[in-house]
Amino acid sequence: MSSLLRTPLPSSEQPRAAADVRLSVEQASYAYSSNPSQAPLFTLEALSFHAKPGEIVAILGPNACGKSTLLKLISGALEPLSGRIFLNGFVTHSLPPRTRAQRIALVQQESRLLFPSRVWEFVLQGRHPYGSGLRFETEDDVTIATNALTQVGANHLSDRWMDKISGGEKQRVILARALAQQPLLLLLDEPTLHLDIGAQVDLLHNLRRLAAENRYTVVVVTHELNLAGEYADQVVLLQKGKCLRVGPPATVFQRELLEQVFQAPLSVEMTASGRPRVTLFSNT
Amino acid sequence: MHRIISSFVSRPAALVHVFLFVAAIGVFAQADSPRPSSQTGARELVDEMGRSVRVPVSPTRIISLAPSITETIYALGLQDHLVGDTDFCDYPAAAQRKPKVGGIINPNLEEIAALRPDLVLVTKNINRLDTVRALDTLGIPTYSSSAPHTVSEIISSTQKLADVLGAPEAGKSLGQEMEGQLAALQTKLADVPPRRVLFIVWTEPLMSAGKNTFIADALRKAGGVSIVEASQDWPKMSLEEVVHLQPDYLVFAASHSESATRDFEALATRPGWRLLDAVRNRHFAVISDAVNRPGPRIVSAIEELARQLHPEVFQDSPSPERVSPPANAASFVSPHAAFSSLSPSYCSGSVESSCVH
Amino acid sequence: MRPLTLGRLLFRCGILAVILFVVVVIALKMGAVQVSLYGLGRDLIRVLLGQSSAISTDYGMIVRDIRLPRILLGIVVGASLSVAGASFQALLRNPLADPYVLGVSSGAAVGAIAALIIESHLALSPELAGLITPLGAFIGAGLTIAAVYFLGRRDGQIDSSTLLLGGIITASFLSAIIMFLMNTLSGSNLRGTVFWLMGDLSTPQPRSLLFLLSFGFLAAAGAIYTTASDLNLLLAGEKEAMHLGVDVPRVRIVVYLAASILTGLAVSVGGTIGYVGLLVPHVMRLIFGADHRMLLPAAALGGAIAIVIADTLARTVVAPSELPVGAMTAMAGAPLFIYLLRRRIT
Repeated sequence: MSSLLRTPLPSSEQPRAAADVRLSVEQASYAYSSNPSQAPLFTLEALSFHAKPGEIVAILGPNACGKSTLLKLISGALEPLSGRIFLNGFVTHSLPPRTRAQRIALVQQESRLLFPSRVWEFVLQGRHPYGSGLRFETEDDVTIATNALTQVGANHLSDRWMDKISGGEKQRVILARALAQQPLLLLLDEPTLHLDIGAQVDLLHNLRRLAAENRYTVVVVTHELNLAGEYADQVVLLQKGKCLRVGPPATVFQRELLEQVFQAPLSVEMTASGRPRVTLFSNT
Repeated sequence: MHRIISSFVSRPAALVHVFLFVAAIGVFAQADSPRPSSQTGARELVDEMGRSVRVPVSPTRIISLAPSITETIYALGLQDHLVGDTDFCDYPAAAQRKPKVGGIINPNLEEIAALRPDLVLVTKNINRLDTVRALDTLGIPTYSSSAPHTVSEIISSTQKLADVLGAPEAGKSLGQEMEGQLAALQTKLADVPPRRVLFIVWTEPLMSAGKNTFIADALRKAGGVSIVEASQDWPKMSLEEVVHLQPDYLVFAASHSESATRDFEALATRPGWRLLDAVRNRHFAVISDAVNRPGPRIVSAIEELARQLHPEVFQDSPSPERVSPPANAASFVSPHAAFSSLSPSYCSGSVESSCVH
Repeated sequence: MRPLTLGRLLFRCGILAVILFVVVVIALKMGAVQVSLYGLGRDLIRVLLGQSSAISTDYGMIVRDIRLPRILLGIVVGASLSVAGASFQALLRNPLADPYVLGVSSGAAVGAIAALIIESHLALSPELAGLITPLGAFIGAGLTIAAVYFLGRRDGQIDSSTLLLGGIITASFLSAIIMFLMNTLSGSNLRGTVFWLMGDLSTPQPRSLLFLLSFGFLAAAGAIYTTASDLNLLLAGEKEAMHLGVDVPRVRIVVYLAASILTGLAVSVGGTIGYVGLLVPHVMRLIFGADHRMLLPAAALGGAIAIVIADTLARTVVAPSELPVGAMTAMAGAPLFIYLLRRRIT
């Protein structure tokens, strides 16, 4: 799949980071305020981390810790107040929208459609960044979209209406659309929120396989401790806009640290595969 | 960029539209349609709107787009040259049998064109400028009278129209007759103080005629004076204000007096209206709706009103003698003709008057 | 998986174009004066060959100078309103949007009435006087477009819900001004204004204006069409569209301006004809789907067909009188809207 029609990067800027680092967040920070003259309502303090092709990074933390903000910075939707974010050496925010959409795909939780459309139409939308002006989809576009559906195991849904499929199926279709963009970077914002446990495991499993096969860099925002622990190669732990630790799950999942962040008693064990497992206790 | 243009050009809606467009250009690029020829020569005139019009010397196929003009044409005896009028041209009865071209503000251009007129007559106060422009585009001569603000203007406009239609003598005699009647009326009313009146156009909302309208002037000539000071043509009056001003008489214009009397009775029972002395004393006058038309019947309507406002002046004088109108004209100016659908037992509302025909 | 191809697009539009042609021919035949189909065909051919003087005068004048221009005007107005309606529905992400929801028509009405009032105080030549009302309407529309644009901005960009609110408020405010102005009008001006407000195509327009209208339609509709794929994505949501590569601010401005210009042009010459801009896009969506690359041309052709039919009925049903075309579209449009609502099309 990855051999099909990946367009080369524009050569106007020189790459800056090390050869095998794809995503590079360097001292990026942000602040929200309701109007410029007032003090910020929320601040994301400067943080840094790197990710390679084929890696899964989990951005972990309780609600309102700045996870979604960080994801928006990485996606290029927001410009960092300080610091920069590079994708293969190019600043994500400065890329024009079309080029950015060819490199970065965002999978959101829901998709509200004003007028109903079919699954295949929806997935074909992922090919939009590869056309200009008024265009009709080509044979290649159809092939890529079909492959994307196959990769998430949703080929049988192709002719169904988007508003008539289940939540889990919809999630897979949204993921397929993101894959049809043939991105380098795959971003997911709390993808497991509306899924049952089986579907959650399926999704993460698929992501790991896709990341390995297609060399995607995957960044997942989540508050599910054990999913992050089991599937992530790196974890970025946030609390109230501050990054407390970055690293492989084994180093980040320290009991005192997690208890402080999540405000709940817990215990951490290492499994045979070297992955941490967190057990939460009730507050007695 | 060229991809956008090529996708643009291949767009079928554009193609279809371009085709229609080219067809339309072909159509429009043709020469103007030739104008309908008239029987005699034509002359350049300036109409009462300041437009320069090429009018046949004696037009024989006239279309009238205003009821007042239709009535004037009949009064001048030229009705044989009238080939079409509007749905609203209902007087005299014969006018209803003429071919109809539609409404006053929305006449049907096709009908007008199909009648091959050599002159179309409009007035500024009820016809639309758009209609005039449309007729100009089609090359149909159109003459517009202005909106009269006084009864004298109505008379002079009638005479000008008679000139345009090639019947100046009929116009002059009609004008003289109307002026004569008015003068006689003025003499009768010379020593009588005018009554304060409210002319009611509509009751809900209460609307009257403004001081600059010919209706206000007609009221004056009838020995009344309108209590309305507004300079708008059809002002909406506040009932409070009217109660404050307490007019002596309420004046209604109607085609049938019985329905008007019924309307008055209904009005008298409504809240607020009973505060008017005119309502309590049943001081109301009903005149022909000819008063709404700036045409030949306005003088009769004025006399009608005068007889009701000042019955004492008319008690011992029957309807005065007439100069006989042109042989084939409808008997237009006599007060009987003005209110021909009136039942003879009509009475004015005031207690001390006797019933008047 | 069968995405839209150019071939399929052309084929479907071709069918619609044929329907439009048939409707136009029928409309040319119908009217207060009877015209035979054979005579019509023969004369149209004569016209195209440059032999129009061979046509008998009054009959030729009726078809060529009265009916044909009116039908062409109806086509441009119907196409403009439908494309504008479809565009606003996508831009505002609201299936109830129509071309008038952002107040452009109210602004045009104020401009037209103001022009009427001014005209009565000036002494203008008839040609100039003829252009004043459409000009006033267009200026009124333009000012409203600018005002609503500035009202509809947030953080320097157009925001859909703010735009909708700003537009509705502006429309209400301008309607109040219209009522006030109408109070000061009198006689024929007043009645003419009422007629215009109902939507009326019976006034022949100068040729220059017709050319301008057609050119304006092609330019504005063409501009919107270049964003057709983007509009498909905008329907899913602005953030999603942005992440799929749509330059959302640019698309918003282009669509807003072009659709408003289309509305302004249509209203300037035809008054506020209702229901066409709202319903034709929905009907076309029912038939062809919500893909704007198909929907926009289909809406243009469908709107043209609808207006030509409505206008033909308006001038023949109560002949020799005429109804305003807005009355016909309302009478047909309201039941159709109820039907669509029951089908849960929105």
